[in-house]
Amino acid sequence: MTDLIDRQKLGYIAAQAADARLNVELETEGMTLNIGPQHPATHGTLRIIVRLDGEQVVWADPSAGYMHRGYEKLTEVRTYPQVTTLINRIDWLGSFANEVPFILAAERLMGIEAPPRAQVIRTILFELSRISNVGLFLGDLGVQLGAVTPVFLAFRDREYVLNLIEGATGGRFHPNFDRIGGLKDDLPSGWVDETRQVMKKLRGFCDEMEDLLFGNKVFQDRTRGIGVIPAGVAQQYGLSGANLRASGVDWDLRRDQALPLAYDQVDWKVWTHPDGDSFARCWVRLQEVRESTKIVDQLLDLLPSGPVMAKVPRIIKVPEGEAFVSTENPLGEMGYYVVSQGELGPFRVRIRTASFNNISIVPWVLRGVYVPDVITILASLYFILGDIDK
Amino acid sequence: MGFLKDRYNEYGKGLQVTLNTMLDTVKPRKLGGGPATVQYPREKEAPPTRARGVIALREDNCTACMLCARSCPDWCIYIEGHKELAPPRRAGGAPRKVNKLDRFDIDYALCMYCGICVEVCPFDALFWSPEYEYSEPRIADLLHDKTKLGEWMETVPEAPELEAGAEKKKK
Repeated sequence: MTDLIDRQKLGYIAAQAADARLNVELETEGMTLNIGPQHPATHGTLRIIVRLDGEQVVWADPSAGYMHRGYEKLTEVRTYPQVTTLINRIDWLGSFANEVPFILAAERLMGIEAPPRAQVIRTILFELSRISNVGLFLGDLGVQLGAVTPVFLAFRDREYVLNLIEGATGGRFHPNFDRIGGLKDDLPSGWVDETRQVMKKLRGFCDEMEDLLFGNKVFQDRTRGIGVIPAGVAQQYGLSGANLRASGVDWDLRRDQALPLAYDQVDWKVWTHPDGDSFARCWVRLQEVRESTKIVDQLLDLLPSGPVMAKVPRIIKVPEGEAFVSTENPLGEMGYYVVSQGELGPFRVRIRTASFNNISIVPWVLRGVYVPDVITILASLYFILGDIDK
Repeated sequence: MGFLKDRYNEYGKGLQVTLNTMLDTVKPRKLGGGPATVQYPREKEAPPTRARGVIALREDNCTACMLCARSCPDWCIYIEGHKELAPPRRAGGAPRKVNKLDRFDIDYALCMYCGICVEVCPFDALFWSPEYEYSEPRIADLLHDKTKLGEWMETVPEAPELEAGAEKKKK
């Protein structure tokens, strides 16, 4: 691993030297390339300004904010039940996962806890949204590197998960199913059996992906040793989620935190990878999808009977106080800092999204790499624009 | 041999997956095959009963209490009503005061399909229907009035039965 970092540093030095030489001898400047805001290689409207010297990147800067929707401010003029429908739209691929930390923060302030059945169903839906989010990443990754087959497989299999989420919650992308004190409704009959079948199919999809994409030599050549992030740097930049675990840091909020979710009742593993390159980031995500299917399968067996809603007042007023709750979302750590003044809606909400911190490493990691690798690294860092700009 | 295996891993595997998927697609649906997609205008997908497609209104139940309009996160429900005197229930009684609904519009161009209005309605006047084919060429035409919302009542399905272990709802 160390010689890879050296190679990156050498690349940077070479780029600097080449830039200086160009400037002095030929009196020409390097080229500034705008990747985005509208570009097929960015998942939305992220603009990355890259300064090139020939094929090498000398300097890069992500310029976020083209899709800022102001959710922190919008929540201040909404009541607590109305907020969940807005925050669904932050990370639009794993939307149910956005609701959970906010609801948990509000529940902590109110001093109530969801009944066990609601906690288990919440965890199942949380994992399903992780599968639909990261499953799409696995397909999208291939497209960015020029392999078109995986995206069709990913879309086909994500559809099964979205149908499950729609069957239980009514919404494919924006479930709005979580309530303070529990869930809106119980599961419809037949849902559990259907989920078991889909989980089996998804494990097949993971095997297929591992075989087809991760075992492919072209894919390995384009990702191994590209965009290496050592563990120390990853922690300094505040990376979280799979990006951090791919650098060898064993850190997962699902395991490390005691929250009223059902993760402690099941047997699962946190995957890490020592390399910290693009391949490691993709590989860790693939293992996570597989692990999620196992979690869901075990939770379906555990599903206790009982109500899905605790006793809450009809008009929800959250008592005065402050709470911060963060969970391990598909993209990394997502947290809500809720300040309440005892009114119908929050006084102030601060949203900590994973992608915003994950792209903060882009200037560091892009330095010295070649232009085609820029796309690989951006794809493997895996950000969602709604999650960056909020 | 290693050379051939490498070449197979690089080029052959993708082609094999494509071939397998093609064979799955031409297999009849009875045997678990069939295409994953649906040819939309000719074939229609059946959404689940809980799908949030469109909001239907049972006008007789509505008392114009404005709860839905107030709890809507983007305020896309417009209600107007007035009070009317109705004949008494029993002969010789005093005439009753009833709320009459004049206008109930939902602007589907603004609606976020969150379902809060259906949930807060205390008189069971609003329902979710999985109907989804109501697109309009002009965005202003998406403002639907109470007669149109009432027509969608026919498409509202029965609530699905719950999974084993669920607690029955007390109503």
